[in-house]
Amino acid sequence: MDARIRPDWDIRDAILDMGGGDAYKCYQCGKCMAVCPWSHVETVLFPVYRTPQSVKFGAIMTSEDAEQIEREVEEVYRCVGCESCSTWCPHEVSMPTIMRGIRRILVEYGSYPSQLADAVGRIASSGNPFGEPRENRGQWAEALEVQAFTPDMDVLYSPCCVPSYDPRAKKVAAATVNVLRSAGVTFGILGEAESCCGEAIRRVGAEEVFQQVAGGNASIYTEAGVRTAVCTSPHCLLTFRKEYSEFDAGFQALHQTQLFARLIADQRLRPAKALGKKVVYHDPCTLGRASGVYDEPRAVLRAIPDLELLEIPHYAREYSLCCGGGSGGMWIERAKGERLSDIRVQQAAATGADILAVACPYCLQMFEDSVKTMDLALEVRDVAELLAESLERPDV
Amino acid sequence: MAKVGVFVCHCGENIARNVKVQEVVDFAHEVPGAAVTEHYPYMCSAPGQQLVIDAIREHGLDRVVIAACSPQLHEPTFRAAAAQAGLNPHLVEIANIREHCSWVHRDPIAASAKACQTVAAAVERVKRAKPLDPIEVPVTKRALVIGGGVAGIRAALDIANSGQPVVLVERQPSLGGNMSRLSETFPTLDCSQCILTPLMVQVSRHPLIELMTYSEVEAVSGYVGNFTVRITRKPRYVKIEDCTACGDCAAACPSPVANEFDMGLSTRKAIYIPFPQAVPSTYTLDADRCLNANLQSPTGFRVLGCIRCAEVCKPRAIDFDMQPEVVERRVGAIIVATGYDLQIGQQARECGYGVYPDVMDGLEFERMLSASGPTEGEVRRPSDGKTPADVVFIQCVGSRNPKHGVPYCSRICCMYTAKHALLLRHKVPESRAFVFYMDIRAGGKGYEEFVHRAMEEERVMYIRGRVSQVYEEDGKLKVLGVDTLSGKQVEINADLVVLASAMEPTDHGMIAGTLRIAADEHGFLKEAHPKLRPVETLTAGIFLAGAAQAPKDIPDTVAQASAAAAKGMELLSHDALERDPTTASVNQTACAGCFECLQVCPYGAIERQEVRDRQGNLQRYVAWSNPAMCEGCGLCAVTCRGGFIDVAGYSDEQVFAQLGALGPLPEVLGR
Repeated sequence: MDARIRPDWDIRDAILDMGGGDAYKCYQCGKCMAVCPWSHVETVLFPVYRTPQSVKFGAIMTSEDAEQIEREVEEVYRCVGCESCSTWCPHEVSMPTIMRGIRRILVEYGSYPSQLADAVGRIASSGNPFGEPRENRGQWAEALEVQAFTPDMDVLYSPCCVPSYDPRAKKVAAATVNVLRSAGVTFGILGEAESCCGEAIRRVGAEEVFQQVAGGNASIYTEAGVRTAVCTSPHCLLTFRKEYSEFDAGFQALHQTQLFARLIADQRLRPAKALGKKVVYHDPCTLGRASGVYDEPRAVLRAIPDLELLEIPHYAREYSLCCGGGSGGMWIERAKGERLSDIRVQQAAATGADILAVACPYCLQMFEDSVKTMDLALEVRDVAELLAESLERPDV
Repeated sequence: MAKVGVFVCHCGENIARNVKVQEVVDFAHEVPGAAVTEHYPYMCSAPGQQLVIDAIREHGLDRVVIAACSPQLHEPTFRAAAAQAGLNPHLVEIANIREHCSWVHRDPIAASAKACQTVAAAVERVKRAKPLDPIEVPVTKRALVIGGGVAGIRAALDIANSGQPVVLVERQPSLGGNMSRLSETFPTLDCSQCILTPLMVQVSRHPLIELMTYSEVEAVSGYVGNFTVRITRKPRYVKIEDCTACGDCAAACPSPVANEFDMGLSTRKAIYIPFPQAVPSTYTLDADRCLNANLQSPTGFRVLGCIRCAEVCKPRAIDFDMQPEVVERRVGAIIVATGYDLQIGQQARECGYGVYPDVMDGLEFERMLSASGPTEGEVRRPSDGKTPADVVFIQCVGSRNPKHGVPYCSRICCMYTAKHALLLRHKVPESRAFVFYMDIRAGGKGYEEFVHRAMEEERVMYIRGRVSQVYEEDGKLKVLGVDTLSGKQVEINADLVVLASAMEPTDHGMIAGTLRIAADEHGFLKEAHPKLRPVETLTAGIFLAGAAQAPKDIPDTVAQASAAAAKGMELLSHDALERDPTTASVNQTACAGCFECLQVCPYGAIERQEVRDRQGNLQRYVAWSNPAMCEGCGLCAVTCRGGFIDVAGYSDEQVFAQLGALGPLPEVLGR
C-alpha cells in the first residue's frame, strides 16, 4: 500500500488520450458511489468517485507491489457500465468512459483479468465469446427455417452471440422468430457472416479487437443492404446506434421490444392467450438508462391478457439495478454474496411476482443463475417469450 | 485641412510587447492630416494626458486620435482632457490597438501592421467628425422601487430619508417578502421579524413613501430621469382605511385555503391577513378563493353567494364591488428588488419532495421554526404531528447541478442549513441532526464560526457526500447516500428530511421583459459590470438590489439595496441630465414612413410624427427619434432602406472613410 501520491503525468496523459478527460469535470461529490449498484453489496467497498482524482494524479497502477496492482485491476473491472452514475452525475461525468480509458491501457499491457482476455481472444478468432465455431452461428435457426437476409426483406434480425449459441437463450431467438412471423414481418439473418457486435469488449478496453469486429460487421451489413436491424440484445442496439457511425454504417437499429410494441399498436400482433401470472419487469441498464427505452417493453407486457404487471419499488426505470453482466461482467466469476444479480432477483421475488421478465440476454443468464443458486420460485423469461406464447391461439 | 494629433500609448508592456510603437508613430505621421504624432508609456496617466492637452494648445490641433486600449475604458478620460484644452470631446477618436491588436495576435509584425491601419482608419474617421453637444433631459424627482422585501424596503427608506419621494410597489398584500417568513437569521440568530417589522412600519409611516401593496407594475415607458410607470392595484375588496384588522371577517369566512405565507403548511381563510404584523395592517379578500369567485347570473350580473364576512364587519370595510385600478406614476429612477423563489426541481423530487409529507424544503422548515408559523415554532412531522428525533438536511438540492438543476451555487444554503440544524437542536434537545454537504461555503463575517458552533456545540453530524435516494420504509424515511471522507455508504433512518433547494429569481426574471433590461439564462437580472457597476443595469436609470440579481443573503441584500438607493439618489440629485449626443436622427423629408425602424428599436425611441400641410391637413406619418431615449445603437440606421437615418458620430461619410483606410496591410519593417 503506497501511502503517498506522486503525480505521474505520463500515466495521466495516457489515460486522457484514451478518452478519460471527463475526470476533470468531477468535483468528488460522491453521487456516483451513492447510485452505484455495488452500493447494494454490503461486503464490497467501491468508492468510485475517487477514480477521477486518481486519473488526474496519474496514480493508477503505479505501485511496485503486485498485490496492490491486482487489487487496482479488480477495482477498475468492477464497473459494470450500467450508466447509473452517468445518469445521476450532476456534472455529466461519464465514469464508464473514464474506466474504459484506463482499461484500454491495461489491455494494451496485457494486464487485465484472464477471463476477459479469453473472451476477447475468442471474439477475435471465432466472432463469439464462447469459442464456438463460427460456422455454427446460424445453427439455431435451421430447424425454424429462417432464411438468409436479402435486401428485399423488411428487417435484419441480429440475435447477438448469446441467443445464437446458448441453449436457454436460443429459445428467446426462436420466440422472436415466431413473433415476427405472426406479424407478417419479413426478415432474415446473416448467420456466420456476422460477428459479435463488440459492445462489451470495447468497454473491457479491447479497442483493437472492437475495431476489427465492428468494422467487419459494418461493411458486411452495408454490403448486404441492411436498412433496419432488429436486436435481441440492448448491447447490440447501443453500439449499433451510438458507435457504428464511426464505421460509416448507415443502418437503423431497433430493439425488438420497440418493434413489438409498434406491431401491437398497429394491431399486426394480437396477443390473445391469457397468461394468468404476475410479472415483474426488470429494466436492463443498456435498454433503459443508456437508450431511454422504458415504455415499450411494458407496453408489450400490458398487451398480454391476464398479465398483472408489477414494478420493483424504488428501483425501476432510471433507478433499475444492474444484473452485473455489462462491460465484461458476464465473464467475471464473482463469489457468492458479491453478485448483483442475486440482489436484483431478491428484489424481484419480494414483489410476489411469478415471472421476472427481461429484455436482454445478459440479464436472462445472470438472473437464471441467481434464481437457481438461491432456489427462488421465480421464472426468468424474456419479453419475447411471453409475447410469443400469448400469440399461440388455443385452437391453432 | 484638419490638424490631427495622434498619440500612441505603450500601455507599459501591454501594447509595446507585441506592437512596434515606433512603427505605428512613423506610419501615422504619413497619414494626410496628421500634424503631430507622439507616444508615451502610459497615456492615461496624468503626464500622458497633459501631453495631449499641451499638444492641442501648442499646435492648435482640431482633432485627436488616441491609439490605446478599448474606448470602454479611457474614452471618457481623453474626452475630458480634450475638453480641458478647449476641444469638443466628440472630436477625439480612440484606436483600440490593445484589445484588437497586441492582445489577440501573436505575431508582432502582423499585430503592428494591423495597429497602423487601425490608427489610419481612426484618423480618416475623426477628420470627418463634427462637434457634438450633450443632450439635456429633465429629471423627475421620484423613485420607483419594485418589490417590498427587505431589499425594496431598505432602498425605499434610504431614498425617502434623503428627501426624495418614492413609490414602493409590492405584489403581495403585505410588505416583508421572504425575510418575513424566516424564523431567526444567521449567524446572530436575530429574530427575523423582530428586525424587519420596524422597517416595515417606518415605510408605512414615511411621508415621502407612497406604498402600493397588492399591486403590480404592468408597463414601463420613457427613459432615464423620465419613466412613466403603469401600476395595477388589485382589488382587495376591503377598504384599507376602514379595516381595523379585528379578524371577525376571517372567523366568519367558510372557505379555508392553503396558506402560502406558511408555504402551504397551514390554512387561512379566503379573507385573510398574511401575518399579524402585516403592513398595511388590513385584511384582503382572495377573490380566486372566495365562494363568490365564479358566481354569475345568466344575464351577467354578479351574484353574491356568501356575504358572511360583510355581515360581521362592524366598520363596514368590505366592498364586493371594488375594481382593479390602473394608476400611472412618473419617476426618474427605478430600483428592481423582486427577490427569489425556491426551485423545486427534479433533484427535490428524487429526494422524495412531493411524495412523502415529511420531506420539506428550507422555507417550509423555516415556517415550522417560526414562532408565528403553523406549529408556533415547534418542530413536528407534517405527516403525524410527532416530534422528529432524527432529521436529515440535504444541501445542494438542485444547486451546483448543471444536469438536473442549476449550475450556480445558491450561496445561502450552507448557512441556513447550519442554522436549521442548530435551531432544531435547541428546540428538540434529544434530536440528532445530519447534514449531507459537498463543500461548506461560509464566507461571510462570523459564518465559519457559526458553522463550527453547529458542529461542535450542537454535535451536528456533517456528512460530505450526496444522497442517492430517499424513500419511506417502516414509518421512517430511509436516506441512502455516501460519505466521501470515509469512502463508505451511509444509511440513515430519518423522521424528517429538509432540502436546501436552489434559489431562483422570482417568476424566472419576467420583470426583465417589462423593464427592457437584461437577464441571464436563469433569469437573474444582469448588472452593467460585474465588478465596477454591480448595482446598475445597462439601461440608464434602472438599478438592482437583492436576490433578483443573484443569490445572496440578507447582509449582502441590504448592502446592495443601500448601494442602489445611493445610485438612485445621485441621479435624482440632478435637475437635468446630460446624455451622450451619439443619437440617431431621421431625415424626415426623405422618410417614407415604413416604420421598420420603430420595429427594431430596442429602446422605444422611435415615434410616429404627423406631417401636415399649411392648411393643417394630415399628409403622412414620418419617423422621429427621441434623442432623450436613443442609446445610439444604430439598429434603425442600418434598417432604414433609404439610408435616411444617421447616428451622430457615425455618419456614412465617417464610416466609409474609416473603411476606405483599411487597404492591404502595410509592410512593417522589423526595426
